[in-house]
Amino acid sequence: MSSENSMKNETNHLRKMTTIWVILSLAADLLFWFWVGPHVPPGTMTSTAKSNQFDFTFLVLFALPVLIGVWVYLGYAIVTWSAKRDNVPEPIGGEVARSNRKAQVSWITITSIVVLFLAGFGTVAVINDHGSGGGEGPNPIWNPGGASKAEAAALTSNASWSPNSNQVLPVQVIAQQWKFTYRYPTFGGFESSELILPVGTTVAFNVTSLDVIHSFWAYQLSVKADANPQVNDVAYTDTKQLGNFTVRCSELCGLWHGSMFNYGKVVSQSDFMNWAKTTESANAANTANLPPFAWTYVPDANGAAGGYYPDGTVTPYSTVEVYGSKQPAS
Amino acid sequence: MTISAERPTEVAASSVSPPAQSGGTSWTQRPGWLSQHAGTAIILAILGYLLGHWMGNAISGNYDYIANSGQNAIADTFGLSFGVLGWLLGIGALNYPLAKLVGKEAAHEETVEGWSKYFRYSLDHKVVGLQYVVGVLLFMFTGGLLAMAIRTELLSPTTHVFSPDTYIKIVSEHGTIMMMMATSIIVGPLGNYLVPLMIGARRMAFPRIEAFSFWIFVAGYGVIFSALPYGGFPTGWTGYAPLQTQAGPGMVSYLLGFAVIGMGMMAAGFNIAVTIINYRAPGMTWSRVPIFVWSILATAALLTLATPVLFAGGLFGLLDKTAQTAFYVTEHGGSSYLWQNLFWFFGHPEVYIMALPGFGIVGEIMPVFTRKPLFAYKVAAAGMIGVALLSFFVWQHHLFQSGINPDMRPLFMLTTELISIPTGFIYLVGMGTLYKAKIRFEVPMLFCMALFFNFLIGGVTGVFLSDVPVNVTVHGGFFVLSHFHYTIMGGLLFAFMAGLYFWLPKMTGKMMNKKLGLVHFWTMFVFFNLTFFPMFVIGLLGQPRRVFTYAKNLQGLNDFSSMMAFCLGLSFLIFFANLMWSMFISPVKAPANPWESLGLEWQTASPIPAHNFERIPVILTDPYHYSEVGAPALADFGDGGLVSSNSTTGSSPA
Amino acid sequence: MTDMSNKSRSYSETPEEREFELRAQIGSTWSGGRLFIGMYTFLLASLAFSYFYLRSANNGLLWRPNGVTAPTSFGWAIYSLGVMTALLAIFGQVRLRKGSVIDWQVAGWTGVAGGLVALFLQIWQLTTLPFYPGSSGYASTFVGWAVINIGTLLFGTYWLETTLARSLRMRKEIGGPEPELSTNPSARLFRANVASMTYFWGFVALSSTLFLAMFYIL
Repeated sequence: MSSENSMKNETNHLRKMTTIWVILSLAADLLFWFWVGPHVPPGTMTSTAKSNQFDFTFLVLFALPVLIGVWVYLGYAIVTWSAKRDNVPEPIGGEVARSNRKAQVSWITITSIVVLFLAGFGTVAVINDHGSGGGEGPNPIWNPGGASKAEAAALTSNASWSPNSNQVLPVQVIAQQWKFTYRYPTFGGFESSELILPVGTTVAFNVTSLDVIHSFWAYQLSVKADANPQVNDVAYTDTKQLGNFTVRCSELCGLWHGSMFNYGKVVSQSDFMNWAKTTESANAANTANLPPFAWTYVPDANGAAGGYYPDGTVTPYSTVEVYGSKQPAS
Repeated sequence: MTISAERPTEVAASSVSPPAQSGGTSWTQRPGWLSQHAGTAIILAILGYLLGHWMGNAISGNYDYIANSGQNAIADTFGLSFGVLGWLLGIGALNYPLAKLVGKEAAHEETVEGWSKYFRYSLDHKVVGLQYVVGVLLFMFTGGLLAMAIRTELLSPTTHVFSPDTYIKIVSEHGTIMMMMATSIIVGPLGNYLVPLMIGARRMAFPRIEAFSFWIFVAGYGVIFSALPYGGFPTGWTGYAPLQTQAGPGMVSYLLGFAVIGMGMMAAGFNIAVTIINYRAPGMTWSRVPIFVWSILATAALLTLATPVLFAGGLFGLLDKTAQTAFYVTEHGGSSYLWQNLFWFFGHPEVYIMALPGFGIVGEIMPVFTRKPLFAYKVAAAGMIGVALLSFFVWQHHLFQSGINPDMRPLFMLTTELISIPTGFIYLVGMGTLYKAKIRFEVPMLFCMALFFNFLIGGVTGVFLSDVPVNVTVHGGFFVLSHFHYTIMGGLLFAFMAGLYFWLPKMTGKMMNKKLGLVHFWTMFVFFNLTFFPMFVIGLLGQPRRVFTYAKNLQGLNDFSSMMAFCLGLSFLIFFANLMWSMFISPVKAPANPWESLGLEWQTASPIPAHNFERIPVILTDPYHYSEVGAPALADFGDGGLVSSNSTTGSSPA
Repeated sequence: MTDMSNKSRSYSETPEEREFELRAQIGSTWSGGRLFIGMYTFLLASLAFSYFYLRSANNGLLWRPNGVTAPTSFGWAIYSLGVMTALLAIFGQVRLRKGSVIDWQVAGWTGVAGGLVALFLQIWQLTTLPFYPGSSGYASTFVGWAVINIGTLLFGTYWLETTLARSLRMRKEIGGPEPELSTNPSARLFRANVASMTYFWGFVALSSTLFLAMFYIL
């Protein structure tokens, strides 16, 4: 085989593969973008859900050509260069087959560019979207406007939220084995077992735990924040649509981890106001027995780690509220 | 150290061999029952456990908080630790360390002939390699049975086959056993067996440390498994505190089991790394080292340096359980984040401990079946080192939703995605090697091709997981579960199977049955993908990991996945049947070099002599000169015959 | 560290091969000793990380209430004995290289005694702590350090003792006035082992200085 012939052969193989790859990738990307894309979880119920849905779809647009590229290559190799075929030429060893500067350099360059681009894209997305609904810890650095003011006010007794005021609504999520409860500091700090949110509102979830690590995952809201004891893990989202959503625990928390879920609702701002006011007064007697609203609570001695030293003396808690310490004797 | 590549002049052997030691074989190595073997190890392990448990109760039974709790973590820890110690004493691991106290050098230990050597503290790396094969298969089948149990429970979103208590035990035990198996599955059997053969060495640098690594690996299996009679542990393999602090005595088995197996991992990595550095035959320069050895070297470095962190984490956990320290107890000045940091600082390099050897195996096997040299050898080696280095800087991507260091997230997103560049090198290498090849689709080659297919899905979904916004949806769900099964099972386990089918003929002298092998491959490949691909969808649709209750609309997908998982289980039975059939029931003698490989390990005699090579070979070139006209000889074996590769078939003339 | 398990072999060996194997063994002792220090660094780094992590977190203001400190006299005594052993090991090796075997042995046995006393003190100190192990972050990490230090001292003293015991027995096996300095393969391996051991003790001295500062001074 002359070298000219082999060059031609070479370009033929690559051209064929590239053609198949371009066609399949384009088709797959278009199909995904228009057909699957709109249905990609977690939907469009909140700002974070919407942009995380976009991010997922965007990554798929890159992933599919990569997958298809390798698969086309493997498939082509299996079909074309199988020893079972009669007319497969003997392979050529030696230096030609050992390395190819052009192939290596372009491979490394292309993968590096794609990877750096995706990392940059993710960074922009997470900063622009105020943490993308992920738990940002006690001192969030990417917070929406008005959030820090609302959060600071939550600890005082005169915190408030009213419809059409564009205020951030702080909600506390308290996880314990094995249920979630929610406190609303802007309504006297009452505690509810259902999570009701107003639409068109920026919500600051303050997630904490009374015992072991849980994870607050409001699936359709695209919010996920680990609930750690003694830690206030803050996550933001902006509700956009009315509807129901599921809350599940997504960090193994013991025996009944599998049944630690409940449901929540996004309702109109006036409905929310009515519900909150009604619940606040209905629960007033219970609220009086709760510890004052705080970002974290120390469990009583029955908590995960216990509050006692081996000699029976109590841990000298100083800065935090003991949750349940004021429960009436039963 | 400079190594002369000159062929040494041969001297009459008898004139230089030192006088035989007086006294003959020590009693510890005598054939028969009156010596040290697995039986004495079991007896001493049981006695040690009883003694330790009694001691623990004696020193701590009168503390109020123990007397009233009905459980005594101190007694459990002492019992299991003394059990491990008794096991090591019984098998003979402590003979030499104790003899050193009085200045004795190791007695000459004749390897006992016959099958009983597999139940002894053998210093022959070939015996240890085969012991490891059985050991990891024991782990794998135990973990696999537990996986079947998990899929049985998930057949229904509500009805429970197992109580939640039993279910969480099964999940935790499955994860822990499989992860500990996976760290050793290639380094243990194939690394120990093949590395000396591939670098032209007659022995390992520290054969006793090597044997120690295997026997403590078995002890670790016992310790982790002892969690079940102790009531199991509820934390999954990640063992997060404070659930860890809250858990019952089974947690001691988990923490101690990690520490014990961790010692085995450190020992194995230490020995292999030192061997590769020091025992390469003359002429085996770093650019001639087979790619499998490169991958094992990178893995060994990770094993040696990352595992101490796991060991420390386990030790602190045990102290929390026994001495009542508060490392992981936030209320007492500790931090539950501390465990997460320590665990994942080990945990992420561990992920690459489980990926790199697989890359090495495909890099080693593909040239044989494509009859082409390995493409971009230097890139492959650089990729492995790059992955190993970067793997120490990515651990916080496991903690993206945990609430710590949000400002560090872009950094960890960047490092995590950067690691896909060196990982991608293996695809460049694989695809370059396939280019214009003449591919023979034998069973090992099929497993290699399957690795490229599976690992690609695992790797690409890894990029999704490392993207912080997407991570919000997929973290802690079935998506991530499917992702790591695709990398570990679809990558590592397929590579292990490729390695077994490829090297068992050399290791045992018997061929694996090809027909059964093909059935095994196709069932495993198809049902693996059908089991785990739906789990990506299940995860995206909102099912968290480790749950026994899930949304009703996911039952169809879960049931499908379960059915396929049972078929996948059957495919492992086919593998087991093939192993039994080909090795014991109807063995077929393997040719000396059935795949016509140029690798050094195939060039020594079959069966392999006790000391691997009659003469230490002098390496003249790398082992990838397939289909090369006028290729240089691989090595000078000092017996007059040079192995060359200048025929197009690449077979080795005598 | 390295053994001579195959003194008598069932196969022939050329002198070049014997020399090659011996050099590989010496190299293994050398690189094994360094790699072991790397491994130990990661272990100690985990503890140091825990210390600084809990210190900066100061959860429940319980990092170190009232500035509790473990018994300082014990701490300094254990530290001084450890450093003394390390210095003796280093001094001994310098003397050994210069050909003074007896100096090395005297320094070595003194070092073993020092190591054992340090070990004993470290265990004793645990029984005299003025705090519960779980009473603070400091207390926890201190107990962790004590346990790891017991392991370090035990292993270091064991290593030092085995080289000394070996050197005594070599006199019987090889004979001659100073077999430790001969060109006999056993002696060459022995010296490599001593060098790695000394290096490890130097590392112990350095790391315990760091931890002394962390637990008793800072």
